Amino acid sequence: MGLALIELATLMNIQDETQPDPTHPLSGQIMSGAEILVQVLADEGVTTVFGYSGGAILPTYDAVFRYNEEHAAGGVEPMPLVVPANEQGAGFMAAGYARASGRVGVVIVTSGPGATNCVTPVRDCMADSIPIVIICGQVPTGAIGTDAFQEAPVTAIMGAVAKHVLLVTDPEQLEANVRTAFEIARTGRPGPVVVDVPKDVQNWEGPFRGEGRLAIPGYRQRLEAVQGNTLSEERCAEFFAMLGESKRPLIYAGGGVIKANGSPGLRALAETFEIPVVTTLMGLGCMDTTRPLSLHMLGMHGTAYANYAVDDCDLLIAMGARFDDRVAGVPAAFAAKARRVLHFDIDPSEISKVKRADWHYVGPMQPALDALVAHGSSMGFSGDFSDWHDETANLKSTYALNYDRESELVQPHYVLETMNRITGGEAIVSTGVGQHQMWAAQYCDFREPRLWLTSGSMGTMGFGLPAAIGAQFACPDKLVIDVDGDGSMRMNLGELETVTTYDLPIKVMVLNNYGDGMVMQWQRLFFKGRLSGSDKSLHKKDFVKGAEADGFPWAKRLDRKEDVPRILEEFLGFEGPAFLEVIIDKEAGVYPMVGPGLSYRDMITGDFIPNRYGAEEPEEPDASEMF
Amino acid sequence: MRHIISILLENQAGALSRVANLFSSRGFNIESLNVAPTDDAAVSRLTLVTVGSDDAILQIANQLGKLVDVVSIADMTGLDHIERELALFKVRAPENSRAQLQSILEEFGGQVLGYDEGHGTLELIGSGPEIDRFMADLADLAEIESVARSGVIAVARGSPIFDAPARD
Repeated sequence: MGLALIELATLMNIQDETQPDPTHPLSGQIMSGAEILVQVLADEGVTTVFGYSGGAILPTYDAVFRYNEEHAAGGVEPMPLVVPANEQGAGFMAAGYARASGRVGVVIVTSGPGATNCVTPVRDCMADSIPIVIICGQVPTGAIGTDAFQEAPVTAIMGAVAKHVLLVTDPEQLEANVRTAFEIARTGRPGPVVVDVPKDVQNWEGPFRGEGRLAIPGYRQRLEAVQGNTLSEERCAEFFAMLGESKRPLIYAGGGVIKANGSPGLRALAETFEIPVVTTLMGLGCMDTTRPLSLHMLGMHGTAYANYAVDDCDLLIAMGARFDDRVAGVPAAFAAKARRVLHFDIDPSEISKVKRADWHYVGPMQPALDALVAHGSSMGFSGDFSDWHDETANLKSTYALNYDRESELVQPHYVLETMNRITGGEAIVSTGVGQHQMWAAQYCDFREPRLWLTSGSMGTMGFGLPAAIGAQFACPDKLVIDVDGDGSMRMNLGELETVTTYDLPIKVMVLNNYGDGMVMQWQRLFFKGRLSGSDKSLHKKDFVKGAEADGFPWAKRLDRKEDVPRILEEFLGFEGPAFLEVIIDKEAGVYPMVGPGLSYRDMITGDFIPNRYGAEEPEEPDASEMF
Repeated sequence: MRHIISILLENQAGALSRVANLFSSRGFNIESLNVAPTDDAAVSRLTLVTVGSDDAILQIANQLGKLVDVVSIADMTGLDHIERELALFKVRAPENSRAQLQSILEEFGGQVLGYDEGHGTLELIGSGPEIDRFMADLADLAEIESVARSGVIAVARGSPIFDAPARD
């Protein structure tokens, strides 16, 4: 049965267009499969590819080289190839590129280990809805399934983690497959698409068509049904009727707003009708976090004032957010006073998945928000939210983020606060995963979308450095800072050298607490302080020497509180690659914290932030919830 | 609750395994699975029977609807539909048992495909539960040596639930 399907697949790759595109200047030209592949990348607007070479992808690497040689203008290659230390790095570079620019990130790797090293970034991109296309070399068609050298079952492995996988068995269909991969990656809810290209397909020679895609009728039909949606006048009227009945409306905005480029609309809606906004970890920057209406981040390590506002609101307007367990650990207790939940999303399967929506809209974000703002403005909508604004302002000042300001040790919060004062919320910040990630999310401002690059759903340590590299390629004029932890930095340490190889002016800051800080925090809270596997105080690495060895012209260690402002100015102002290790207080914790499987009522706020409900000690979570 | 889910699926490498993955990764058992061509050479029709709460099945159906290769999907359970399965049985069938076999076959609307060297080959077409009942009754009469079932297929009564390319 399964075999029959795969056999059919080779016969029935259907194209919706069969005639070459006469308008493409290269239409009808005889090319190799590899050349066709590279030409489609160029047609799709790809300006940087990330990847590592190897046997099964050599023809394509050669085609990239020749393409750049032939098309270089003024010594500038049109599609530079950026080579990481490990294919996982290439995957996260493409992800950083995509997150920072909104364009599809591209990875080209070889078969077997090249492809399997990309499994983690592919799953990471799927979980955070990031559009990337990964081209994997594969052993020749006739050798597939024989345990050939550097063979891995890429369709089976990637099929379980990617938005889609295409195995090209018919070279005539290579062009359509690659083009369709880009379409699938960037449309609807974006995601990673893997194209597995056997070596003989790369070496095949035939005519380039210049157009043609796979039929994918079901996907296109569902996409059209969603993309064609907008908010009618009646539905806008419904929205404002519900908003009018509300005294405490709250927008809960997620990463979907950024992916949909819906940030201008969200800001217009919030500012025009004065609706406060909380954002998820992935949504940071969709609302300018310096604005009075912004209550910053909600959730497990959200600000106390954001979480209390969620507890208090009577109307919750979810936009491009999915009620993840880090936000709504107990769905029934989440926004329990909200009389209605409204949900905007591009993915119909998210509506009422976790929390029942009383009203929803599935479709493109920005046109819907434009329609709402126009409708509300023309009807002269004015909600009576002044008491609510007083309440949220009061929450913001009473339960503001705070930490041990008197300590002699360097507090990570202080470092990030100082960094934020210098950058003014205009820099691109990437992170690893753990305490440093949460501190950065809490203490950094993001005035624009696509400045905050973090592995939200998968929580992949080692994401920060390669993501910063990709982001710097996407935005060469931006200040890009990788705020990392010592544990996360070790995961992709090899990419330090990639920073200097390409002379990228990235600022790499490692907050070193000699261990996996978040794990230690949980072990102190829930495992009676047994630091199993997380304490790294015996580790011998000298990060500064390591950075120097990798060619960083500026590499320093910061361990005195009084040096923080001066050193950070110097670090962030350095014109080339710079590396800073900060020795932070090992005991510093991330607060507030909502324990796993608990509600905001059980949020603990630590020693320096007041607690509205008086919860001092974290409740012991149920063992099954302990993740 | 038992659900019959019909899916039109593009004939692409790995498509079937991605559908199966969605069930296995959630710990759902697939009770039966039938895959066969349709009038559109590019599309197969897959009929899958599983057991789960309505909410859980709705979640799986929603996720199935996100697979690129899935053309259409319908949970037939709540619809007025016709369900059929083909089952072939090998039984030990000495001469003196055949009258009884004949009578149970008549009761269920099955037939004998042949007797050979004391083995009988029986055929029954019916709904999944009908075949289950027949199999239980048959086991009381004769030693069942082998069972081959096609898995359930189903179509809606009245107008088809799937638009082009394949209709039911």
